Amino acid sequence: MSPRRLRETFVAYGFLAPVIAGFLIFVLGPAVAAIGLSFFNYDVLTPPRFAGWANYLRFFRDPRLPLIYWNTVVYVFWYVVLTTVVGLALAVAANRAMHAVWRYLVRTTYFFPVLTSLASVSLVWQYLYSTDFGIINYYLGKFGVQRIPWLTSSQWAIISIIVLGVWKNVGFNFILFVAGLHNIPRHLYEAAEIDGAGRWASFRYITVPSLTPVVFFVIVWGLINGFQVFDSPFILTTGGPGDASRTVVMYIYESGFRFFQMGYASTVALSLFIIVVILTLIQFRLSRIWVFYQ
Amino acid sequence: MPATSGPILNGRFRAKLFDWSVTALLLLGGILMMMPFVWMFSTSWRQAKDSFSLPPQWLPTAWRIENYQEVLNGIPFVEFVLNSLKVSTLITLGQLVTCSMAAYAFARLRFPGRDLLFLIFLSQLMVPQQVTIIPVFILIRVLGLLDTHWALIIPALFSAFGTFLLRQFFLTIPYELEDAARVDGAGYVRTFLQIILPLAGPGLSTLAIFVFNFYWNEFFRPLLFISTWEKMTLPLGLTVMRGYLGVGNVAAIMAGVSMGILPVLVVFLVAQRYLIEGITLTGIKG
Repeated sequence: MSPRRLRETFVAYGFLAPVIAGFLIFVLGPAVAAIGLSFFNYDVLTPPRFAGWANYLRFFRDPRLPLIYWNTVVYVFWYVVLTTVVGLALAVAANRAMHAVWRYLVRTTYFFPVLTSLASVSLVWQYLYSTDFGIINYYLGKFGVQRIPWLTSSQWAIISIIVLGVWKNVGFNFILFVAGLHNIPRHLYEAAEIDGAGRWASFRYITVPSLTPVVFFVIVWGLINGFQVFDSPFILTTGGPGDASRTVVMYIYESGFRFFQMGYASTVALSLFIIVVILTLIQFRLSRIWVFYQ
Repeated sequence: MPATSGPILNGRFRAKLFDWSVTALLLLGGILMMMPFVWMFSTSWRQAKDSFSLPPQWLPTAWRIENYQEVLNGIPFVEFVLNSLKVSTLITLGQLVTCSMAAYAFARLRFPGRDLLFLIFLSQLMVPQQVTIIPVFILIRVLGLLDTHWALIIPALFSAFGTFLLRQFFLTIPYELEDAARVDGAGYVRTFLQIILPLAGPGLSTLAIFVFNFYWNEFFRPLLFISTWEKMTLPLGLTVMRGYLGVGNVAAIMAGVSMGILPVLVVFLVAQRYLIEGITLTGIKG
Protein backbone atom coordinates (compact mmCIF):
# COMPACT_ATOMS: atom_id res chain seq x y z
CA MET A 1 0.00 0.00 0.00
CA SER A 2 1.24 3.45 -0.85
CA PRO A 3 1.82 5.81 2.08
CA ARG A 4 -1.14 7.86 0.89
CA ARG A 5 -3.48 4.87 0.83
CA LEU A 6 -2.17 3.73 4.19
CA ARG A 7 -2.86 7.14 5.64
CA GLU A 8 -6.35 7.22 4.16
CA THR A 9 -7.10 3.79 5.62
CA PHE A 10 -5.81 4.90 8.99
CA VAL A 11 -7.95 8.04 8.92
CA ALA A 12 -11.01 6.09 7.76
CA TYR A 13 -10.84 3.67 10.66
CA GLY A 14 -10.33 6.62 12.96
CA PHE A 15 -13.57 8.12 11.73
CA LEU A 16 -15.30 4.76 12.05
CA ALA A 17 -13.94 4.02 15.52
CA PRO A 18 -16.92 5.31 17.55
CA VAL A 19 -19.58 3.41 15.60
CA ILE A 20 -17.43 0.28 15.42
CA ALA A 21 -16.97 0.42 19.18
CA GLY A 22 -20.71 0.94 19.64
CA PHE A 23 -21.44 -1.93 17.27
CA LEU A 24 -19.12 -4.30 19.14
CA ILE A 25 -20.28 -3.32 22.63
CA PHE A 26 -24.00 -2.90 22.08
CA VAL A 27 -24.86 -5.11 19.10
CA LEU A 28 -22.36 -7.82 18.20
CA GLY A 29 -21.19 -8.51 21.76
CA PRO A 30 -24.72 -8.75 23.16
CA ALA A 31 -25.87 -10.85 20.19
CA VAL A 32 -23.10 -13.36 20.88
CA ALA A 33 -23.81 -13.15 24.60
CA ALA A 34 -27.47 -13.90 23.89
CA ILE A 35 -26.43 -17.12 22.16
CA GLY A 36 -24.34 -18.03 25.19
CA LEU A 37 -27.07 -17.05 27.60
CA SER A 38 -29.55 -19.32 25.85
CA PHE A 39 -27.57 -22.28 27.23
CA PHE A 40 -27.87 -21.06 30.82
CA ASN A 41 -30.53 -20.49 33.40
CA TYR A 42 -30.11 -17.00 34.75
CA ASP A 43 -32.46 -15.09 37.04
CA VAL A 44 -30.22 -12.00 37.46
CA LEU A 45 -29.91 -12.44 41.24
CA THR A 46 -28.08 -15.77 41.45
CA PRO A 47 -25.13 -16.72 39.21
CA PRO A 48 -26.02 -18.36 35.86
CA ARG A 49 -26.29 -22.16 35.86
CA PHE A 50 -25.41 -24.14 32.76
CA ALA A 51 -28.53 -25.68 31.29
CA GLY A 52 -27.33 -27.39 28.13
CA TRP A 53 -30.12 -27.66 25.59
CA ALA A 54 -32.85 -27.33 28.20
CA ASN A 55 -34.02 -23.92 27.00
CA TYR A 56 -34.18 -25.16 23.42
CA LEU A 57 -36.12 -28.29 24.42
CA ARG A 58 -38.50 -26.07 26.32
CA PHE A 59 -38.77 -23.78 23.31
CA PHE A 60 -39.92 -26.59 21.04
CA ARG A 61 -42.32 -27.98 23.64
CA ASP A 62 -43.68 -24.69 24.94
CA PRO A 63 -47.45 -25.09 24.53
CA ARG A 64 -47.98 -21.32 24.44
CA LEU A 65 -45.52 -20.51 21.69
CA PRO A 66 -47.42 -21.77 18.62
CA LEU A 67 -50.30 -19.40 19.32
CA ILE A 68 -47.97 -16.52 20.20
CA TYR A 69 -45.99 -16.99 17.01
CA TRP A 70 -49.19 -17.37 15.03
CA ASN A 71 -50.49 -14.04 16.40
CA THR A 72 -47.25 -12.35 15.47
CA VAL A 73 -47.24 -13.80 11.96
CA VAL A 74 -50.88 -12.80 11.44
CA TYR A 75 -50.04 -9.31 12.62
CA VAL A 76 -46.97 -9.01 10.40
CA PHE A 77 -48.77 -10.40 7.36
CA TRP A 78 -51.71 -8.02 7.53
CA TYR A 79 -49.60 -5.12 8.70
CA VAL A 80 -47.26 -5.47 5.73
CA VAL A 81 -49.99 -6.18 3.18
CA LEU A 82 -52.28 -3.37 4.31
CA THR A 83 -49.65 -0.68 4.82
CA THR A 84 -48.24 -1.52 1.38
CA VAL A 85 -51.51 -1.79 -0.56
CA VAL A 86 -53.27 1.12 1.14
CA GLY A 87 -50.13 3.25 1.05
CA LEU A 88 -49.76 2.61 -2.67
CA ALA A 89 -53.45 3.23 -3.38
CA LEU A 90 -53.33 6.52 -1.49
CA ALA A 91 -50.21 7.62 -3.33
CA VAL A 92 -51.69 6.80 -6.73
CA ALA A 93 -54.88 8.63 -5.76
CA ALA A 94 -52.95 11.68 -4.54
CA ASN A 95 -50.76 11.76 -7.64
CA ARG A 96 -52.99 14.08 -9.67
CA ALA A 97 -53.67 17.75 -10.25
CA MET A 98 -54.72 19.17 -6.89
CA HIS A 99 -54.77 22.56 -5.23
CA ALA A 100 -51.63 23.08 -3.11
CA VAL A 101 -53.73 23.45 0.04
CA TRP A 102 -55.44 20.10 -0.46
CA ARG A 103 -52.13 18.47 -1.28
CA TYR A 104 -50.64 19.80 1.95
CA LEU A 105 -53.65 18.69 3.99
CA VAL A 106 -53.68 15.20 2.50
CA ARG A 107 -49.97 14.71 3.09
CA THR A 108 -50.16 16.10 6.62
CA THR A 109 -53.19 14.17 7.83
CA TYR A 110 -51.97 10.78 6.65
CA PHE A 111 -48.41 11.30 7.79
CA PHE A 112 -48.89 12.85 11.21
CA PRO A 113 -49.68 9.60 13.11
CA VAL A 114 -46.28 8.23 12.00
CA LEU A 115 -44.57 10.76 14.23
CA THR A 116 -46.56 10.11 17.36
CA SER A 117 -45.62 7.60 20.01
CA LEU A 118 -47.29 4.21 19.57
CA ALA A 119 -47.58 3.93 23.34
CA SER A 120 -49.39 7.27 23.63
CA VAL A 121 -51.80 6.71 20.77
CA SER A 122 -52.52 3.23 22.15
CA LEU A 123 -53.80 4.99 25.28
CA VAL A 124 -56.21 6.94 23.07
CA TRP A 125 -57.29 3.99 20.94
CA GLN A 126 -58.01 1.95 24.03
CA TYR A 127 -61.02 4.20 24.60
CA LEU A 128 -61.97 4.38 20.93
CA TYR A 129 -62.16 0.59 20.96
CA SER A 130 -64.38 0.38 24.05
CA THR A 131 -67.23 -2.03 23.33
CA ASP A 132 -70.05 -0.10 24.96
CA PHE A 133 -68.79 3.50 24.98
CA GLY A 134 -66.27 3.61 22.14
CA ILE A 135 -66.90 5.87 19.20
CA ILE A 136 -65.85 3.20 16.70
CA ASN A 137 -68.70 0.92 17.71
CA TYR A 138 -71.04 3.90 17.91
CA TYR A 139 -70.47 4.89 14.29
CA LEU A 140 -70.39 1.29 13.08
CA GLY A 141 -73.74 0.93 14.81
CA LYS A 142 -75.08 3.68 12.54
CA PHE A 143 -74.43 1.30 9.67
CA GLY A 144 -76.18 -1.50 11.46
CA VAL A 145 -73.04 -3.26 12.68
CA GLN A 146 -73.41 -5.10 15.96
CA ARG A 147 -71.14 -3.95 18.80
CA ILE A 148 -67.72 -5.50 18.30
CA PRO A 149 -65.79 -6.59 21.41
CA TRP A 150 -62.58 -5.16 19.93
CA LEU A 151 -60.24 -5.73 22.83
CA THR A 152 -62.01 -8.38 24.83
CA SER A 153 -62.65 -11.18 22.36
CA SER A 154 -59.91 -13.52 21.23
CA GLN A 155 -61.14 -13.20 17.68
CA TRP A 156 -60.94 -9.40 17.49
CA ALA A 157 -58.01 -8.51 19.77
CA ILE A 158 -55.29 -9.08 17.17
CA ILE A 159 -57.40 -7.33 14.52
CA SER A 160 -57.58 -4.25 16.75
CA ILE A 161 -53.81 -4.23 17.02
CA ILE A 162 -53.45 -4.58 13.25
CA VAL A 163 -55.87 -1.70 12.60
CA LEU A 164 -53.97 0.54 15.00
CA GLY A 165 -50.64 -0.42 13.43
CA VAL A 166 -51.88 0.29 9.91
CA TRP A 167 -53.45 3.61 10.92
CA LYS A 168 -50.24 4.67 12.61
CA ASN A 169 -47.76 3.75 9.89
CA VAL A 170 -49.54 3.78 6.54
CA GLY A 171 -48.51 7.42 6.11
CA PHE A 172 -44.86 6.42 6.04
CA ASN A 173 -45.39 4.19 3.00
CA PHE A 174 -47.71 6.77 1.47
CA ILE A 175 -44.91 9.36 1.48
CA LEU A 176 -42.45 6.84 0.06
CA PHE A 177 -44.78 5.90 -2.78
CA VAL A 178 -45.55 9.53 -3.54
CA ALA A 179 -41.83 10.16 -3.89
CA GLY A 180 -41.48 7.01 -5.99
CA LEU A 181 -44.23 8.15 -8.34
CA HIS A 182 -42.62 11.54 -8.57
CA ASN A 183 -39.36 9.95 -9.69
CA ILE A 184 -40.87 8.19 -12.70
CA PRO A 185 -39.75 10.11 -15.81
CA ARG A 186 -42.61 11.96 -17.52
CA HIS A 187 -41.45 10.95 -20.98
CA LEU A 188 -42.30 7.29 -20.35
CA TYR A 189 -45.97 8.18 -19.99
CA GLU A 190 -45.85 10.51 -22.97
CA ALA A 191 -44.33 7.80 -25.12
CA ALA A 192 -46.97 5.33 -23.96
CA GLU A 193 -49.73 7.79 -24.78
CA ILE A 194 -48.37 8.26 -28.29
CA ASP A 195 -48.35 4.49 -28.65
CA GLY A 196 -52.03 4.54 -27.75
CA ALA A 197 -51.77 3.05 -24.26
CA GLY A 198 -54.72 3.74 -21.97
CA ARG A 199 -54.68 4.71 -18.31
CA TRP A 200 -54.67 1.13 -17.10
CA ALA A 201 -51.92 -0.01 -19.49
CA SER A 202 -49.71 2.92 -18.43
CA PHE A 203 -50.30 2.02 -14.80
CA ARG A 204 -49.63 -1.66 -15.33
CA TYR A 205 -46.55 -1.35 -17.55
CA ILE A 206 -44.93 1.88 -16.35
CA THR A 207 -46.09 2.79 -12.86
CA VAL A 208 -46.03 -0.67 -11.30
CA PRO A 209 -42.57 -1.76 -12.53
CA SER A 210 -41.08 1.63 -11.66
CA LEU A 211 -42.37 1.34 -8.12
CA THR A 212 -41.16 -2.20 -7.43
CA PRO A 213 -37.96 -1.02 -5.67
CA VAL A 214 -40.06 1.05 -3.28
CA VAL A 215 -42.46 -1.84 -2.72
CA PHE A 216 -39.48 -4.03 -1.94
CA PHE A 217 -38.08 -1.57 0.59
CA VAL A 218 -41.49 -1.12 2.18
CA ILE A 219 -42.03 -4.87 2.56
CA VAL A 220 -38.60 -5.58 4.04
CA TRP A 221 -38.86 -2.63 6.43
CA GLY A 222 -42.40 -3.63 7.39
CA LEU A 223 -41.36 -7.23 8.07
CA ILE A 224 -38.45 -6.24 10.29
CA ASN A 225 -40.51 -3.74 12.26
CA GLY A 226 -43.71 -5.76 12.30
CA PHE A 227 -42.08 -8.70 14.07
CA GLN A 228 -41.05 -6.38 16.89
CA VAL A 229 -44.57 -5.23 17.72
CA PHE A 230 -44.86 -4.67 21.45
CA ASP A 231 -46.21 -1.31 22.63
CA SER A 232 -49.70 -1.61 21.17
CA PRO A 233 -50.63 -5.09 22.47
CA PHE A 234 -48.87 -4.33 25.76
CA ILE A 235 -51.09 -1.30 26.34
CA LEU A 236 -54.30 -2.23 24.52
CA THR A 237 -54.83 -5.85 25.52
CA THR A 238 -51.84 -6.87 27.65
CA GLY A 239 -51.75 -9.88 25.35
CA GLY A 240 -55.22 -11.06 26.17
CA PRO A 241 -57.73 -12.42 26.35
CA GLY A 242 -55.60 -15.42 27.34
CA ASP A 243 -52.78 -15.36 24.82
CA ALA A 244 -55.01 -14.25 21.96
CA SER A 245 -53.03 -11.11 21.18
CA ARG A 246 -49.71 -11.90 22.84
CA THR A 247 -46.78 -11.31 20.49
CA VAL A 248 -43.32 -12.85 20.53
CA VAL A 249 -41.70 -9.70 21.88
CA MET A 250 -44.25 -9.51 24.68
CA TYR A 251 -43.42 -13.11 25.54
CA ILE A 252 -39.70 -12.31 25.53
CA TYR A 253 -40.36 -9.35 27.80
CA GLU A 254 -42.46 -11.39 30.19
CA SER A 255 -40.09 -14.37 30.32
CA GLY A 256 -37.04 -12.18 30.79
CA PHE A 257 -38.19 -9.27 32.86
CA ARG A 258 -41.23 -10.47 34.72
CA PHE A 259 -40.27 -14.07 35.46
CA PHE A 260 -36.53 -13.40 35.20
CA GLN A 261 -35.83 -16.38 32.96
CA MET A 262 -33.14 -14.56 31.03
CA GLY A 263 -31.84 -17.74 29.42
CA TYR A 264 -35.17 -18.83 28.04
CA ALA A 265 -36.01 -15.29 26.97
CA SER A 266 -32.75 -15.25 25.00
CA THR A 267 -33.68 -18.50 23.29
CA VAL A 268 -37.02 -17.06 22.16
CA ALA A 269 -35.34 -13.83 21.08
CA LEU A 270 -32.85 -15.77 18.97
CA SER A 271 -35.68 -17.65 17.29
CA LEU A 272 -37.20 -14.30 16.36
CA PHE A 273 -33.88 -13.13 14.99
CA ILE A 274 -33.45 -16.25 12.87
CA ILE A 275 -36.94 -15.92 11.45
CA VAL A 276 -36.47 -12.25 10.60
CA VAL A 277 -33.14 -12.96 8.91
CA ILE A 278 -34.53 -15.89 6.90
CA LEU A 279 -37.55 -13.90 5.75
CA THR A 280 -35.38 -10.92 4.83
CA LEU A 281 -32.99 -13.09 2.83
CA ILE A 282 -35.93 -14.75 1.07
CA GLN A 283 -37.19 -11.30 0.19
CA PHE A 284 -33.82 -10.35 -1.25
CA ARG A 285 -33.68 -13.57 -3.25
CA LEU A 286 -37.22 -13.15 -4.56
CA SER A 287 -36.55 -9.52 -5.40
CA ARG A 288 -34.34 -10.65 -8.28
CA ILE A 289 -37.47 -11.96 -9.95
CA TRP A 290 -39.90 -9.13 -9.45
CA VAL A 291 -38.03 -5.98 -8.57
CA PHE A 292 -37.23 -3.86 -11.58
CA TYR A 293 -34.26 -1.51 -11.33
CA GLN A 294 -33.94 1.14 -14.00
CA MET B 1 -72.46 25.50 -29.17
CA PRO B 2 -71.54 23.22 -32.07
CA ALA B 3 -72.69 19.69 -31.47
CA THR B 4 -69.28 18.19 -32.26
CA SER B 5 -67.53 19.79 -29.26
CA GLY B 6 -69.99 18.19 -26.87
CA PRO B 7 -68.27 14.83 -26.27
CA ILE B 8 -64.82 16.44 -25.96
CA LEU B 9 -66.01 18.90 -23.35
CA ASN B 10 -67.86 16.13 -21.62
CA GLY B 11 -64.75 13.98 -21.58
CA ARG B 12 -62.63 16.73 -20.13
CA PHE B 13 -65.31 17.57 -17.61
CA ARG B 14 -65.59 13.95 -16.62
CA ALA B 15 -61.83 13.70 -16.07
CA LYS B 16 -61.97 16.84 -13.93
CA LEU B 17 -64.91 15.52 -11.98
CA PHE B 18 -63.02 12.30 -11.39
CA ASP B 19 -59.99 14.23 -10.09
CA TRP B 20 -62.22 16.25 -7.78
CA SER B 21 -63.99 13.19 -6.42
CA VAL B 22 -60.72 11.42 -5.70
CA THR B 23 -59.38 14.53 -3.96
CA ALA B 24 -62.55 14.79 -1.91
CA LEU B 25 -62.30 11.12 -0.92
CA LEU B 26 -58.66 11.58 0.06
CA LEU B 27 -59.56 14.56 2.22
CA LEU B 28 -62.38 12.59 3.81
CA GLY B 29 -59.92 9.80 4.59
CA GLY B 30 -57.56 12.41 6.01
CA ILE B 31 -60.27 13.62 8.35
CA LEU B 32 -60.83 10.02 9.46
CA MET B 33 -57.09 9.68 10.12
CA MET B 34 -57.21 12.70 12.41
CA MET B 35 -60.35 11.61 14.30
CA PRO B 36 -58.45 9.92 17.15
CA PHE B 37 -56.53 13.14 17.79
CA VAL B 38 -59.66 15.25 17.63
CA TRP B 39 -61.40 12.94 20.07
CA MET B 40 -58.35 12.97 22.34
CA PHE B 41 -58.18 16.74 22.38
CA SER B 42 -61.88 17.40 22.83
CA THR B 43 -62.16 14.76 25.55
CA SER B 44 -59.37 16.48 27.45
CA TRP B 45 -61.70 19.49 27.70
CA ARG B 46 -64.61 17.76 29.33
CA GLN B 47 -66.05 16.86 32.67
CA ALA B 48 -64.73 13.43 33.56
CA LYS B 49 -68.29 12.13 33.74
CA ASP B 50 -68.95 13.19 30.14
CA SER B 51 -65.96 11.32 28.71
CA PHE B 52 -68.05 8.46 27.46
CA SER B 53 -71.18 10.34 26.49
CA LEU B 54 -72.79 9.07 23.32
CA PRO B 55 -73.40 10.30 20.70
CA PRO B 56 -69.79 11.52 20.72
CA GLN B 57 -69.08 15.20 21.09
CA TRP B 58 -66.47 16.44 18.64
CA LEU B 59 -65.92 19.76 20.32
CA PRO B 60 -64.79 20.51 23.84
CA THR B 61 -67.84 20.73 26.09
CA ALA B 62 -66.32 22.47 29.09
CA TRP B 63 -63.12 24.44 29.07
CA ARG B 64 -61.89 22.52 32.05
CA ILE B 65 -58.30 23.54 32.63
CA GLU B 66 -58.57 21.37 35.75
CA ASN B 67 -57.88 18.25 33.67
CA TYR B 68 -54.55 19.71 32.66
CA GLN B 69 -53.84 20.92 36.18
CA GLU B 70 -54.54 17.46 37.49
CA VAL B 71 -51.88 16.05 35.18
CA LEU B 72 -49.36 18.77 35.98
CA ASN B 73 -49.93 18.60 39.74
CA GLY B 74 -50.91 14.98 40.25
CA ILE B 75 -47.99 13.36 38.47
CA PRO B 76 -44.43 14.52 37.72
CA PHE B 77 -45.44 15.45 34.18
CA VAL B 78 -42.95 18.30 33.85
CA GLU B 79 -40.19 15.90 34.90
CA PHE B 80 -41.29 13.43 32.21
CA VAL B 81 -40.99 16.15 29.58
CA LEU B 82 -37.61 17.28 30.85
CA ASN B 83 -36.36 13.69 31.01
CA SER B 84 -37.49 13.00 27.47
CA LEU B 85 -35.94 16.24 26.35
CA LYS B 86 -32.64 15.42 28.01
CA VAL B 87 -32.45 11.83 26.76
CA SER B 88 -33.56 12.64 23.21
CA THR B 89 -31.28 15.67 22.89
CA LEU B 90 -28.15 13.92 24.10
CA ILE B 91 -28.79 10.89 21.90
CA THR B 92 -29.40 13.14 18.90
CA LEU B 93 -26.19 15.11 19.45
CA GLY B 94 -24.23 11.88 19.95
CA GLN B 95 -25.58 10.28 16.81
CA LEU B 96 -24.94 13.40 14.75
CA VAL B 97 -21.28 13.18 15.72
CA THR B 98 -20.72 9.42 15.46
CA CYS B 99 -22.87 8.84 12.39
CA SER B 100 -21.53 11.77 10.40
CA MET B 101 -17.96 10.62 11.06
CA ALA B 102 -18.72 7.06 9.98
CA ALA B 103 -20.76 8.23 7.01
CA TYR B 104 -17.85 10.39 5.85
CA ALA B 105 -15.55 7.38 5.91
CA PHE B 106 -18.05 5.18 4.06
CA ALA B 107 -18.99 7.81 1.48
CA ARG B 108 -15.72 9.60 0.84
CA LEU B 109 -12.68 7.57 1.85
CA ARG B 110 -11.21 4.52 0.17
CA PHE B 111 -9.87 1.78 2.37
CA PRO B 112 -9.66 -2.00 2.33
CA GLY B 113 -12.77 -3.73 3.65
CA ARG B 114 -15.01 -0.74 3.14
CA ASP B 115 -17.84 -2.43 1.29
CA LEU B 116 -17.85 -5.53 3.47
CA LEU B 117 -17.81 -3.42 6.60
CA PHE B 118 -20.69 -1.34 5.26
CA LEU B 119 -22.68 -4.49 4.54
CA ILE B 120 -22.06 -5.82 8.05
CA PHE B 121 -23.15 -2.47 9.33
CA LEU B 122 -26.38 -2.50 7.42
CA SER B 123 -27.14 -6.06 8.49
CA GLN B 124 -27.55 -4.66 12.01
CA LEU B 125 -30.89 -3.34 10.85
CA MET B 126 -32.12 -6.93 10.74
CA VAL B 127 -31.23 -7.62 14.37
CA PRO B 128 -34.34 -7.13 16.47
CA GLN B 129 -33.61 -5.04 19.53
CA GLN B 130 -34.98 -7.83 21.69
CA VAL B 131 -32.08 -10.11 20.80
CA THR B 132 -29.51 -7.78 22.28
CA ILE B 133 -31.62 -6.21 25.00
CA ILE B 134 -31.08 -8.91 27.64
CA PRO B 135 -27.25 -8.84 27.53
CA VAL B 136 -27.40 -5.04 27.30
CA PHE B 137 -29.63 -5.03 30.37
CA ILE B 138 -27.13 -7.21 32.22
CA LEU B 139 -24.27 -4.95 31.12
CA ILE B 140 -26.11 -1.82 32.23
CA ARG B 141 -26.85 -3.48 35.55
CA VAL B 142 -23.22 -4.48 36.07
CA LEU B 143 -22.15 -0.92 35.31
CA GLY B 144 -24.61 0.27 37.95
CA LEU B 145 -26.52 2.38 35.43
CA LEU B 146 -29.96 0.81 35.85
CA ASP B 147 -32.62 3.39 36.55
CA THR B 148 -30.46 6.21 35.24
CA HIS B 149 -30.84 8.12 32.01
CA TRP B 150 -27.40 6.95 30.94
CA ALA B 151 -28.87 3.46 30.50
CA LEU B 152 -31.03 4.92 27.75
CA ILE B 153 -28.46 7.29 26.29
CA ILE B 154 -25.17 5.43 26.03
CA PRO B 155 -26.30 2.38 24.00
CA ALA B 156 -28.17 4.70 21.61
CA LEU B 157 -25.26 6.97 20.71
CA PHE B 158 -24.48 4.90 17.60
CA SER B 159 -26.76 3.84 14.83
CA ALA B 160 -26.58 1.95 11.57
CA PHE B 161 -29.64 3.76 10.30
CA GLY B 162 -28.11 7.18 10.93
CA THR B 163 -24.84 6.18 9.29
CA PHE B 164 -26.72 4.89 6.27
CA LEU B 165 -28.90 8.00 5.97
CA LEU B 166 -25.96 10.42 6.17
CA ARG B 167 -23.91 8.34 3.77
CA GLN B 168 -26.70 8.69 1.24
CA PHE B 169 -26.64 12.45 1.74
CA PHE B 170 -22.85 12.70 1.55
CA LEU B 171 -22.81 10.76 -1.71
CA THR B 172 -24.83 13.55 -3.31
CA ILE B 173 -22.23 16.22 -2.48
CA PRO B 174 -20.06 16.97 -5.52
CA TYR B 175 -16.41 15.99 -5.33
CA GLU B 176 -15.07 19.18 -6.91
CA LEU B 177 -15.12 21.22 -3.70
CA GLU B 178 -13.36 18.48 -1.83
CA ASP B 179 -10.67 18.18 -4.50
CA ALA B 180 -10.15 21.93 -4.43
CA ALA B 181 -9.70 21.84 -0.67
CA ARG B 182 -7.30 18.91 -1.05
CA VAL B 183 -5.22 20.94 -3.53
CA ASP B 184 -5.12 23.75 -0.99
CA GLY B 185 -3.56 21.27 1.41
CA ALA B 186 -6.56 20.58 3.66
CA GLY B 187 -6.36 17.25 5.51
CA TYR B 188 -9.22 14.75 5.92
CA VAL B 189 -10.39 16.21 9.20
CA ARG B 190 -10.49 19.74 7.85
CA THR B 191 -12.25 18.61 4.68
CA PHE B 192 -14.84 16.83 6.81
CA LEU B 193 -15.41 19.74 9.15
CA GLN B 194 -15.22 22.62 6.69
CA ILE B 195 -16.49 21.18 3.41
CA ILE B 196 -18.71 18.16 4.00
CA LEU B 197 -20.52 19.06 7.21
CA PRO B 198 -21.59 22.57 6.14
CA LEU B 199 -22.92 21.18 2.86
CA ALA B 200 -24.74 18.35 4.62
CA GLY B 201 -26.94 20.68 6.64
CA PRO B 202 -30.24 19.28 5.33
CA GLY B 203 -29.03 15.71 5.90
CA LEU B 204 -27.97 16.46 9.45
CA SER B 205 -31.29 18.20 10.16
CA THR B 206 -33.21 15.26 8.79
CA LEU B 207 -31.30 12.78 10.92
CA ALA B 208 -31.64 15.02 13.97
CA ILE B 209 -35.43 15.16 13.59
CA PHE B 210 -35.71 11.42 13.01
CA VAL B 211 -33.56 10.50 15.97
CA PHE B 212 -35.13 13.02 18.29
CA ASN B 213 -38.62 11.91 17.35
CA PHE B 214 -37.73 8.22 17.71
CA TYR B 215 -36.32 8.58 21.22
CA TRP B 216 -38.99 11.06 22.27
CA ASN B 217 -41.51 8.30 21.50
CA GLU B 218 -39.51 5.34 22.74
CA PHE B 219 -41.30 3.01 25.12
CA PHE B 220 -39.64 -0.40 25.26
CA ARG B 221 -36.22 0.44 26.68
CA PRO B 222 -37.49 2.97 29.25
CA LEU B 223 -39.94 0.31 30.42
CA LEU B 224 -37.02 -2.05 31.09
CA PHE B 225 -34.41 0.37 32.37
CA ILE B 226 -36.29 3.03 34.33
CA SER B 227 -38.26 2.21 37.44
CA THR B 228 -38.37 5.50 39.36
CA TRP B 229 -41.43 7.62 38.62
CA GLU B 230 -39.47 10.89 38.49
CA LYS B 231 -36.93 9.50 36.02
CA MET B 232 -39.42 8.20 33.49
CA THR B 233 -39.64 9.54 29.97
CA LEU B 234 -42.93 10.77 28.55
CA PRO B 235 -44.57 7.72 26.88
CA LEU B 236 -43.71 5.49 29.84
CA GLY B 237 -44.81 8.10 32.34
CA LEU B 238 -48.14 8.58 30.55
CA THR B 239 -48.75 4.83 30.51
CA VAL B 240 -48.01 4.52 34.19
CA MET B 241 -50.16 7.57 34.82
CA ARG B 242 -53.13 5.67 33.42
CA GLY B 243 -52.94 3.31 36.35
CA TYR B 244 -52.25 6.09 38.80
CA LEU B 245 -55.07 8.44 37.87
CA GLY B 246 -57.43 5.53 37.41
CA VAL B 247 -58.58 4.20 34.07
CA GLY B 248 -61.89 5.99 34.59
CA ASN B 249 -60.40 9.47 34.50
CA VAL B 250 -60.21 9.62 30.76
CA ALA B 251 -60.30 13.41 30.58
CA ALA B 252 -57.09 13.80 32.56
CA ILE B 253 -55.35 11.00 30.68
CA MET B 254 -56.25 12.64 27.36
CA ALA B 255 -54.98 15.95 28.70
CA GLY B 256 -51.65 14.26 29.41
CA VAL B 257 -51.47 12.57 26.02
CA SER B 258 -52.42 15.85 24.31
CA MET B 259 -49.58 17.67 26.01
CA GLY B 260 -47.23 14.87 24.98
CA ILE B 261 -48.28 15.06 21.34
CA LEU B 262 -48.21 18.85 21.12
CA PRO B 263 -44.40 19.13 20.75
CA VAL B 264 -44.51 16.46 18.04
CA LEU B 265 -47.10 18.49 16.16
CA VAL B 266 -44.97 21.62 16.39
CA VAL B 267 -41.83 19.83 15.19
CA PHE B 268 -43.85 18.27 12.38
CA LEU B 269 -45.27 21.54 11.10
CA VAL B 270 -41.87 23.20 11.23
CA ALA B 271 -39.79 20.38 9.81
CA GLN B 272 -42.10 18.49 7.49
CA ARG B 273 -39.87 19.14 4.50
CA TYR B 274 -36.80 17.54 6.09
CA LEU B 275 -38.74 14.53 7.27
CA ILE B 276 -40.20 13.80 3.89
CA GLU B 277 -36.87 14.34 2.19
CA GLY B 278 -35.19 11.97 4.61
CA ILE B 279 -37.76 9.23 4.18
CA THR B 280 -37.48 9.59 0.45
CA LEU B 281 -33.73 9.36 0.48
CA THR B 282 -33.62 6.19 2.60
CA GLY B 283 -36.36 4.41 0.71
CA ILE B 284 -35.94 5.47 -2.89
CA LYS B 285 -32.28 5.95 -3.46
CA GLY B 286 -31.25 3.21 -1.04
